[in-house]
Formats: sequence, structure tokens, C-alpha cells
Amino acid sequence: MRIEKHPIIDDYGKGRLVCFSYNGDEAMGYEGEPVAAALKAMGVDTHRYTVKRHEPRGIFCAIGRCTDCVMIVDGVPNVRTCMTPLAEGMAVETQDGLRKAGEAHEAL
Amino acid sequence: MKRYEMIVIGAGPAGLSAAIEAAQSGLEVVVFDENEWPGGQLFKQIHKFFGSREHQARTRGVKIGQNLLEAARGIGVKVVLGATVLGIYKNKEIAVRLEGEVRNCKADAIVIATGASENMMTFDGWTLPGVMGAGAAQTLMNLHGVRPGKKILMVGSGNVGLVVSFQLKQAGCDVVAVVDAAARIGGYGVHAAKLARTGVPFYTSHTVVKAVGAEKVEGAVIAEVGADFTPIPGTEMPLDIDTVCIAVGLSPMSQLADNAGAELVYDPAKGGYVAALTDEGETSVKGLFCAGDVAGIEEASSAMIQGKIAAAAAARDLGYITAADFETKAFGYKESLAKIRAGMFAPGNKGRTDIVQTDEGYPLSESLLARGFLSDAEAAAFPAAGIGGGGGGPRPVIECTQNIPCDPCQDVCPKGCILVGDNITALPQIAGEKACSGCALCVGACSGQAIFLVNETYEDGYGTVGLPYEFVPLPQKGDKGRALGRDGGELCGAEVVEVRAGAAMDKTPMVVMKVPVSEIARARFFRPESEGGI
Repeated sequence: MRIEKHPIIDDYGKGRLVCFSYNGDEAMGYEGEPVAAALKAMGVDTHRYTVKRHEPRGIFCAIGRCTDCVMIVDGVPNVRTCMTPLAEGMAVETQDGLRKAGEAHEAL
Repeated sequence: MKRYEMIVIGAGPAGLSAAIEAAQSGLEVVVFDENEWPGGQLFKQIHKFFGSREHQARTRGVKIGQNLLEAARGIGVKVVLGATVLGIYKNKEIAVRLEGEVRNCKADAIVIATGASENMMTFDGWTLPGVMGAGAAQTLMNLHGVRPGKKILMVGSGNVGLVVSFQLKQAGCDVVAVVDAAARIGGYGVHAAKLARTGVPFYTSHTVVKAVGAEKVEGAVIAEVGADFTPIPGTEMPLDIDTVCIAVGLSPMSQLADNAGAELVYDPAKGGYVAALTDEGETSVKGLFCAGDVAGIEEASSAMIQGKIAAAAAARDLGYITAADFETKAFGYKESLAKIRAGMFAPGNKGRTDIVQTDEGYPLSESLLARGFLSDAEAAAFPAAGIGGGGGGPRPVIECTQNIPCDPCQDVCPKGCILVGDNITALPQIAGEKACSGCALCVGACSGQAIFLVNETYEDGYGTVGLPYEFVPLPQKGDKGRALGRDGGELCGAEVVEVRAGAAMDKTPMVVMKVPVSEIARARFFRPESEGGI
């Protein structure tokens, strides 16, 4: 899903290629790009599931307004992945309601 | 508490322009922006801007952003990123969150240049991953080099919907359809036309009924709408798409002005609630200004001028420039603003559907408004768009049929072949007695990609059509393919006989294709044989 050649943009100013983990699996992305961009490039669409109806949510505004793309990053939930620069070794996890996927939580 | 002479909130076109203007007058200025990247939306705007030379017409937004940043840094403006202004207290004190802590600082003048947010619409499935704002798609592809999807449905045909659709094509995505509930395409006809000729269909009087899919968008259903804008049963049509982009307008982000106690007014023509402003951009709170989209949704070109006016007024109020100096500056800025606010798409004409002819009295193309392309008969009726009567050799055919503020064609032509005049919303005309040299500068300079270089006498029975081609891979001389009409339909075989891609074209190369003379009035795009599509 990455754009290899573009008629107008010569260079996206990407950092170096780094490893991070996505739900425990090894993943690659460019340092400094938004976590959401790295995930989109990998074909990940669902970032989280809603608390009450367990519906999938993904990138919606991509500029930090809507909070639809929040995930658990390095153990911290509700992190806006469209605004968070990717760093080497980062642990990114799908958020289920207010917790990690698969982890039970009390009804709100 | 740190005190500045001016605090600017937002490092987009309006904010940076205000900061530069103020710093030039000698004020100590700081710009706070909540993003990690400066420039607001400018760095996503990879298309050439409209206007006149003074508005940086035919310069791409991204370049304008770079120029503004360099100018700001060069004159000592401090741009602080990752700095969210949380609120404005009395006496122009602000709270800003920076590096995890909240700090307060104060200014003699504040310019709010917070821009706008995208409007959304709800429909079944609108929360599925794969439904996103057109701005989100633009951010992903133009800033981060990632395609938002493969097959796109664009909802909304204002300039944002049209420009982003074209950029999606440039990024290698397939734009399956552009729908708009209105009966007319909302944005510039030239933006629609450059999409339509690549084969993108427009569905006016249509809306998206639902996005389908379990975990993500796997398709959508559109339907025709009646006069009340509700879907007409039985007109539903499924579309094979994986992404829905929403471009249904913008709303000014007036929260800080409201929070500061400025009087707000509801103005649909400005996009919603905006601070009531003087013609210098000052709110009802003395020393508190608004500039750019937060003052009313417009183009970046006018945002930059508004920023300058507000900053000049603040500089005068703080004693840095005299009232007379201000008047001189403001006169020029306001004149420049008036030029770019003119024409059919002027802010005051927003939502009007009763404009039926150009200022010159030419009937507007109904086909362009409804389907995104000029019909062959309509094209021939416009002053610079008609074929025929031309002698040998190349000459420009300009399919510019609406009064939009723009004159780079006139500006770049070294032979004086193209006339727009001082009123930059006038339709361009061809000066019959002047000889076109075939330099193609107009083809590259036209921000609407509406100029074609036509030669009826290329060789016996064949002519050539030179067309702007901002896609990759760029066709090469000798490539064979099909010539497409304005509607994107295949017309005939075509062969590329020349490609102009020099620096002067600024990444809008001209591809010259050879077609039978009988097709040169209709052939407006080239599809390489190797691709069968873009």
C-alpha cells in the first residue's frame, strides 16, 4: 500500500526502516512516521473495537481530532496512532474497549 | 510568565503569514501549533494554486508552505510545534500544553489561525474502518506515502472532493465514483474535467446510502436523491470499493475565539459559527484577531492575505507602524484579497444554483456541472476552446469556461497569445494575430490543467494534441495507446510523438499524441496501451 513512485512527490522524507511489534508479531515501518501510516502500509485497517458494541474502528481523520484510531502503544491505551511517531521497538496492540484484545473487562 | 508581543495560534498559511508580517514590522512573535508538522494543510496540497502572480498562482501548496516556513525562520519567528493552546483567558493570556505540562503566557495581540475541521455525514456503515475524511486520505498519501485504499468512493464534489480524487489517482488508486447530493458539481469545473477525462464517473443528485462489510469496508451502495435530498427507492446501485472518502465541507474551528469571549455569528456562507470580525480581522475582543479558515472557509490564498492584514493591524495598534503605513499596506492586501474573492465561486456565491452564464454572457456548460465534462458542442462555443479557423502549427485550446480567479496562462505566454486582462476571473481569449510558438508553458502553468496544444497540420490526415499529464509512468515518445474524450471514453488509437517534461513545466509534463485530424477537437487524454488504464 506504499506509494513507490509519485508524479509530484519525490521524497516523503522518511526516517530509517525500524522494527516494531504489532499484536506481538514483528512488523516494519519507518521511524518517525505516524504509527497509523505504518499500519496502513501493512494492510491493517482495524485499530480498536468499541466498548459497548464491539465494533471495529480505524483511521478516520488522521489528524488527531476524532480519536477513532487509538490503540495500546507500549502498554498505554487510548494513544492516537495518527499523531504518534513510530519508534524502534514500539509495541502496538489492538485495543478492545478500554483494554487489550482478549483481555476481559467489566461492563461499563 | 513569558510575555510576547504577538502569539499566533496555528502554523498554517494564515498563521505563518501573520507571523511573518508582524515580525517584519518588528514584533516579537511566537507561533504555537498542536501538530508535529508545521504548515497546516499546505504540505498536503500538491496541486498548483489559482490566483495571480501576487497570490503565488501556479505554485504548488507544498512549495508555498516551504517558502512560508523559510521566511518565518529567516526573520526570527519562533514556531513551537506539539504545542496545544488549551484556552484563552482575559487580557490575552493563554494556556498552552507543551511536553506534557501546561504553561501560561501572555501577548499584546493574538491571532487565532486554527483553521477548520472536516464535516462528516452519517450513513449505515459510516464507522467501519475504510470510511474516512478526504483530508485523512490526503494526509496518508501526500504526507506519508501510503495509499488509503485501492478502490475509492468519493462523497462530495466541492474543490476538496475533486482535488483529493485527482490526488488519489496520482497516488495510484482507482476512483470508482464521485457522488454529490446536489444536482451540480460544487467545485471548479476544471478540477472536475481533469478527473472526468481519466474516466472517473460523476453521480450528481446521488448520495451514499451505506458502506457494507463486517470488519472493514468491502463495498458501498449509492442511490439517487430527490429534491428533498433523500434517496429514491429503487435507484440503489452497488459499488465495488474498499474505501469511502467524505468531502462534505469544512467547519471553522472557532472554539478558542468563543472561549476568549469574542462575539460569534452563525454564517452558513462561512461554514458555520465564526467570530464577528472587523475588516481588519479583529474580533469583538480588542487585540484578538482571526485569520484564515477560522474566519470563514475559503482558499489558502485568501488565508495568507487575511493573516497579513490582521498582523499589520496589530502592528499599528502596538505602535510599530504608523496609521498611514498601515493604510498603504492594507490597501494593497485588500485589493489582492478582492481579486481572489471574485468570480462565480466567490464566498458570497456559496450555495447559489442560479448562475446560468459567465460574466461574458456565455451559457455555462450544463454537462460540466452535472457530469464533470464539457460536451463537444459546448466546448466549441467558448472563446478559447473552439477548434477551427486556426492555421498551421500549434496553438492553445483553453477549456476554461467558468469565471474563476486565475491568470497564469496570460502571465507565462511569451508571445502574448493569451489574454485574460486585469480582471483575473475573465475567461481567457486567444489573440488571433499573435503566433503561438508551441512552447507549452501555458499547458504547464494552468492550475486547472485546462489548456491543450493543438496542431491540425502535423502530417497528412493527422494532427496532434498536447495535454497535461501528471501521472506515472510518464508515457514516452513512440508509445501507443488510446485517445480518450473529455468524458474518459475511448475515441481512437493514438501515438505519443513528443513529451515535454522540463523544469519549466514544474512536474506538469505535456504529452503530445498524434490522432486523426477528425478527433483533435475531442481527444483530451492518453491511455497507454500497456496499462489499459491509469
